[in-house]
Amino acid sequence: MINVLWTRAGFRSRLFIQVLLVAAAIFTVIPFLWSAVNSVKTVSETFRIGAFIPFLQFQPTLDSWREVLADPQTSIAFINSCVISAGTTIFALILGVPAAYSLARYEFPVKSSDIALWFLSQRVLPPAVVLVPFYLLLVYLRLIDTWTGLILCYSTFNLAFVVVVMRDIFRDVSTEIEDAAKVEGATPWQIFWMIALPLLLDGLVVSSVLVFAFSWNEALFASALTSQAATPFSALVLASRSTRGVDFNTAGVNTLIGIVPPVIFYLFVQRYLARGLSFGAVKG
Amino acid sequence: MAARVERLEHGGYFKYALLLPAVIWVLAFTFLPLLSVIRYSFSSYVMGEGVTGFVGFQNYVNVLTSVEFWQSILVTVVYVVVAVPIELVLGFLAAWLVNLGAPGSKTFRAIIGSPLFTLEVAIGYLGVTFFTDQGGLIAVPLSVLGIHVPWMSTAYGGIAGAILLDVWRWTSFIFIIVLAGLAGIPGELYDAAVLDAKSHWQVMWHLAVPLAWPVTTIAVLLRTIECLKTFAIPFALTSGGPGTSTQTFSAMDYLTTIQFFDFGKGSAMGIVYLILVSAIIAIFFQQMRKQLT
Amino acid sequence: MANRYDDKKFGEVVRDYVRGAISRRQFIVRGAQLGLSAAVLAKLTRPSRAAANLVDSDPASPYESPITPERVAFLKTKPYKGTTINVMVLKATVGDGLKYHVPHWEQATGGKVNVAEVPIETLHTQIFSDLSSGLGKYDTYMTGAWFYGDFFVPKDPYIVPVEKFIADPKHSYWDPDQWLPAMRKLYSWNEKVYGVLFDGDAQALYYRKDEFAKKENQDKFKAKYNYDLPAPPKTTKEYHDVADFFTGWDWNGDGQKDWGISLHAKVNEQGFFHFLTLSAPFVVSPDNKYYFFNPDTMKPLINSEGHVRALEDYVKFLANGPKEEISWTLGQGWNLFLDGHSATEPTWGDLPTLAQDPKTSKVQGKMGAAPLPGTTEAFNPITGQWKKYDLNQVGNTNGGSWHCVISRLSKKQEATYDFLAFMANKKNALFNCTTGWTGVQPGMKFEYIPPMGTGKVTDWTGANPPWNEDDVVEYLKAYYAVLAAPIQQEYLRIPGAAEYWHDLDINVSAVLAGQIKPKAGLDATAAAWEKVTDRYGRDKQKALYKASFA
Repeated sequence: MINVLWTRAGFRSRLFIQVLLVAAAIFTVIPFLWSAVNSVKTVSETFRIGAFIPFLQFQPTLDSWREVLADPQTSIAFINSCVISAGTTIFALILGVPAAYSLARYEFPVKSSDIALWFLSQRVLPPAVVLVPFYLLLVYLRLIDTWTGLILCYSTFNLAFVVVVMRDIFRDVSTEIEDAAKVEGATPWQIFWMIALPLLLDGLVVSSVLVFAFSWNEALFASALTSQAATPFSALVLASRSTRGVDFNTAGVNTLIGIVPPVIFYLFVQRYLARGLSFGAVKG
Repeated sequence: MAARVERLEHGGYFKYALLLPAVIWVLAFTFLPLLSVIRYSFSSYVMGEGVTGFVGFQNYVNVLTSVEFWQSILVTVVYVVVAVPIELVLGFLAAWLVNLGAPGSKTFRAIIGSPLFTLEVAIGYLGVTFFTDQGGLIAVPLSVLGIHVPWMSTAYGGIAGAILLDVWRWTSFIFIIVLAGLAGIPGELYDAAVLDAKSHWQVMWHLAVPLAWPVTTIAVLLRTIECLKTFAIPFALTSGGPGTSTQTFSAMDYLTTIQFFDFGKGSAMGIVYLILVSAIIAIFFQQMRKQLT
Repeated sequence: MANRYDDKKFGEVVRDYVRGAISRRQFIVRGAQLGLSAAVLAKLTRPSRAAANLVDSDPASPYESPITPERVAFLKTKPYKGTTINVMVLKATVGDGLKYHVPHWEQATGGKVNVAEVPIETLHTQIFSDLSSGLGKYDTYMTGAWFYGDFFVPKDPYIVPVEKFIADPKHSYWDPDQWLPAMRKLYSWNEKVYGVLFDGDAQALYYRKDEFAKKENQDKFKAKYNYDLPAPPKTTKEYHDVADFFTGWDWNGDGQKDWGISLHAKVNEQGFFHFLTLSAPFVVSPDNKYYFFNPDTMKPLINSEGHVRALEDYVKFLANGPKEEISWTLGQGWNLFLDGHSATEPTWGDLPTLAQDPKTSKVQGKMGAAPLPGTTEAFNPITGQWKKYDLNQVGNTNGGSWHCVISRLSKKQEATYDFLAFMANKKNALFNCTTGWTGVQPGMKFEYIPPMGTGKVTDWTGANPPWNEDDVVEYLKAYYAVLAAPIQQEYLRIPGAAEYWHDLDINVSAVLAGQIKPKAGLDATAAAWEKVTDRYGRDKQKALYKASFA
């Protein structure tokens, strides 16, 4: 959707805007390029002054890539992360969206904004504080080193995103259509499922992107609650540090590999963002 | 500005059916752990023996009189107070620019949003290769220009470096949310505003900013809560050093609880932190509510 | 009776004994003939099992050498078929070293090994969560030597002694008596062996032999300091002079100013071992073996006059390296030396190992190695007195010395031991320490070359990647001297060792950064240590501290 401000803008304004955008893009892309450069260096070259441009200033090598990709644990961790993040996202949506809807539409004995605040408070505590009780809980449930165990933990902590984001969206959406449907005799469930939800796709996209990204990135629970079978990729990246310190070329490889699945997910869903949310700013 | 839809109806059992699964889930999995943490905070714990005794408020006293604790709070607060506003401004501007719909907007949207999906640990390690005098991508060109920033060998340098990395990684968070918000502002409003206003920036300031305010507030609130817990980026970069001068609260709690199994002190730290931050959020929420009504 | 010690002859005697060609009694007699103390020789040759019926190798297990006939027979039954043992290791270096042996053992015994690799950050947490929660998913853990105290906290220790397994000839043959005594201690508790040989860490001084040998450098040094350039420096004063000498000018000819000493002093990343090693000769001496605590009161000794002076001395070395090195991780510190810009580095055997790789090193063939410098005056923190010595040099076993221990909760202890012993068998152990990427350093006598040990230079020059012969001789000679030194720095192995070290680490780092003065930093460390000791229970800690010396 092209904004009228753009169509009306003169050449100088347009140029300025494009320059800013390109600058932002370059700023964003540079660390990825640098990761790539590091990933084709030997360990000693990662410390060499003036080894910025491959081929010109140093001889690149694919050793780190080979090492990481040949390690069976890499692909296992990758799959684990995908499953866990996707599972968390789906589960958080299943639990969170209905809850958000009801908080937006109905009255409860406790003020609904306070309930939302309570959900949000789950994100306040640093995970290190509650790690041990969760570990013991998972031991009790026999869920150590399993996908389910991590999905369980992550859903709990990421529900907040879904509830808070979706509640504000629901509160904003026009209820005229819903009222009309009610007049026609639709059940509340039908209203929720077939009318409200589709209008809020964008909200779903934002929430799911956030939940996926946060699950993907989480490293502490990942490395403490799994040891082998369910180890996610984020825990594997921690292992760039060994008894010999950090291998910066391996870290470079890990940065680049690690971004692939969530970005694919993002690219896939981000076109739905175009329709936009307004969070109660404008009545549609 | 249109009023928010605030029609809360009585919904009988249905509303509970929608809400309760989530509430029960969170309660079930956080109630016991929270109780555990509180219990530990009043006890002494030794790995291998378990809880070795009840120590009353001793852990809390130790925490509140610990210079290292307050230092970590200071480091965290400085970090948040500098990083989040920068991310807010940059994220909002980027969202605004992309929202204009210039050619290539979709590509820019994809690129600028992508750092959100990087692993913080990896970014922290990468940070060393940016800031080290030994071939650092930022340090070396700066030093060629004669600017020697002691990124890695001082507290200020370390925090500055970590904040830079943080801004890179987290601006996209604000960006994605605000962009979705801006996209929801109908084009007709711009058409109207353009007739009144003199310049591009005025339209942005007087129209978009107010309309996107609720979205932005949510984004900032969420970002602040996350940023207060910041751990991976600064720790992977500096390991909290030199000394403990770049150690954030999360890092200190991590070491105390996870590495040294001092659950008593670590839990007390967590509770103190929870109280401090909850107070901040409660105030924030109140302000927000005032703003909207 | 000849009373003159002859290196070569003694080497032969040793070799004969180890190969089983002469008996223990003959060894003592011949050694005494060469002038050595019979009492010491007797102690060194504590009889274990009869070495006489070993054969060099057998096709039943191509990766074992030597091997007992009982084992050959045992393996024919594919004894561990259907058994899976679960091993938790560090990801990379030593973990990779262990993984290398897995298929060989599986082939020989029919068993299966399931290896879980965890990052070094969470290894300690993972091990003790698994143990203290009762989950006991793993049969054996690769552990750092400083974890030992934590294993012995509960009344029923978390790990089991392995001596009953060692005595059984059907398992792979390895001889704990081959350990240099200082290293053996790290694998034992209360005189019982709990760990099976894997890695043996110690810090030594590595220096650019070639630069020290250059006539122009020697002349310049003599002109400036009025004595010959010591290669290597033997006292701390000499080390300061050497470090100062090589700092601030371009002695390697690449156009950049170079440095005298390289450090990897980053906090929370093993940087504090520099201080431990360099400070040892200020406090540890023939008159005092206690570095960390007073054994009678459990009060910290870390802020004694000797320690403070050592820290003040350590800080002076900062002028001999780039300012940034206080935040350098291991790789960065090593790189300064490997790239040729630093004349010396006090660190682990990883340095000469990495030096052999032309991709990372410009200094292959140029390694000099020696025990770390000593002092001429040491403080006794127990009596509070300074005393002068001709030269007080102290050995150390600082580092991880990563190896596996068997969990008490394991239901397959024998099979687990079998796998660990397999890797400790001479042929495999030699592979580990001569092959760079395993991160394993030598701790047993057969790994050293004569006259100290019974190994062969070709073990090293024939490895992959191959060692430079000069480097090997230097490295092993120095490493052995460090481990075999009569005065050793103690290794802290009481519960909470990680936390005690962390408190020291952050304070030393703060001192290096100029945030706090040395005395204040060590005082703060002592105060923090008192809190930790109280939490674990002073009496318990005292008892375990005393036990850890045995």
